Amino acid sequence: MKTIEVIVSPQGQATAQTRGFTGSSCRDASRFIEQALGEKTGEQLTAEFHQVGVSQTETAKQCG
Amino acid sequence: MSHIVSIKTRLTDPVALSAACRRLGLAEPIAGSARLFSAEATGLLVNLPGWHYPAVVDTTSGEVKFDNYAGAWGQPEELDKLLQGYAVEKARIEARRMGHTMTEQALDNGSIKLTIQVGAGAGGGNGGAA
Repeated sequence: MKTIEVIVSPQGQATAQTRGFTGSSCRDASRFIEQALGEKTGEQLTAEFHQVGVSQTETAKQCG
Repeated sequence: MSHIVSIKTRLTDPVALSAACRRLGLAEPIAGSARLFSAEATGLLVNLPGWHYPAVVDTTSGEVKFDNYAGAWGQPEELDKLLQGYAVEKARIEARRMGHTMTEQALDNGSIKLTIQVGAGAGGGNGGAA
């Protein structure tokens, strides 16, 4: 399941964390919430960000 | 997880601001100008509980202008609640617009956790135009 988890602090600042995405697709998925809430002040990539999804690999093979 | 983004909330949406006020049991924001002790500000005026002067939201810049004299004329926590309520309601509006579903959960530390299920409804996807 692909989800975006947003924690809004008591002071109103937000942290958005994507789950279930692979590769850079998470950035596209969460961009709408970043743009909606305000100004991005920081970003931290995790190990999953650098993974290539299975579907992407298979697509590449088919195209090749 | 894939990545974590920190976001500074800016109040740019009058609809979400109204929803935040309703959520907190406040009167609807009123467009106009207000005197803030020694200055005047124009925007959407929100009367926070216990505050001498209204908080003035400039939805063009997303900034809030106020004068609570370091807490003497209004508890900063009331403004914090407005910012938090705005962020929650704005996220709800945008998630719905994208066709996603969102659930809300209050945490013990006062934070609010929003879980947005991507692609749960029409309009989901990872890179679609908004």
